Amino acid sequence: MSVKIKGFCCNYTASVGVEALKEAGLVPEDFDMVRLPCTGRLEVQDLLEAFEKGADAVFVAGCMIDTCHNMSGSKRAAKRVGYAKKIIQELGMDQGLVEMFFVGRGETGPVVEAVREMVSRAEAADS
Amino acid sequence: MIIAERKPVNELLDMISGVKKLLVLGCRGCVAICSAGGDKEVGIISAALRLGRSRMGEPIEIEEATLVRQCDPEYLEPLPDMAKDYDAVLSTACGVGVNFIADRCEGVNVLPGLNTTFYGANLSSGEWIEMCAGCGSCVLHLTGGLCPVARCAKSLSNGPCGGSTGGKCEINPSVPCVWHRIYDKLMDRKEEKRLQEIMPIRDWTTAGHGGPRRRLREDLLP
Repeated sequence: MSVKIKGFCCNYTASVGVEALKEAGLVPEDFDMVRLPCTGRLEVQDLLEAFEKGADAVFVAGCMIDTCHNMSGSKRAAKRVGYAKKIIQELGMDQGLVEMFFVGRGETGPVVEAVREMVSRAEAADS
Repeated sequence: MIIAERKPVNELLDMISGVKKLLVLGCRGCVAICSAGGDKEVGIISAALRLGRSRMGEPIEIEEATLVRQCDPEYLEPLPDMAKDYDAVLSTACGVGVNFIADRCEGVNVLPGLNTTFYGANLSSGEWIEMCAGCGSCVLHLTGGLCPVARCAKSLSNGPCGGSTGGKCEINPSVPCVWHRIYDKLMDRKEEKRLQEIMPIRDWTTAGHGGPRRRLREDLLP
């Protein structure tokens, strides 16, 4: 079964592009990631719309709380992910299908791990 | 301001059952300030409803709009025309806005997107607290500016009940006893004599017990 994963990351997260990750076979083909200037720019609406557009699981990869380039961007993003969790739960969905990950600046490995974790959650939710 | 909160998404989905084209209508008044029904919340509610209906296999067409206020007639004027292509309008104003649309906009099927909760103040980002009950007979000059109608669980007029302990209300230890605070405040101001004034039995007619209230000001009438 193929699941569709949508990610959002900030300008400073993951130094390698999605296409390169796919070419290296590190992430599935049905993975898409939007790079934002800062995850603090992300709105709850964006997370919900990602599901509406077909994502089986959605995640946000932002800076570590204490190293956010914009001071509190990833903290804000985490709160918005929290509200999105509440809404999808009200809709009868598993709240684990949307998640926040805090990732060290420029690190790609944790993003790959996040994708794999969300694939696993989406597959579990579908079974 | 008037404080409100979003209704649960499932309640909203039940409400719009059978609706194929919906206008979600926000308000930039109090509900925008308390983050319940302004532009941003209209976007979130719309996205949640689209997702919910899509999961039900019943996609819905939703448009979004926000009015300056829903409690003044001039802002509602365009609504009947705006709404004519929609099966329903989900208002994210307070109950005043929903009622006003129902009263004035013939042919508009208006539904409430929020639960209107109280008149309150913003303690900090994301936290609001009730401060006024809109009872129509203000006694704040007698009570150091603290309202015993809204902030005493029993709306007592002449001092605390027997349940007040250590300055806290018996309903919840996190709630200050407002009469304890009134006492402290008046003592600090050396206005303790006020505490000896007995407030008469309250006439609740002004609080809505006499039916819907109306206020007229002759000098402002057209």
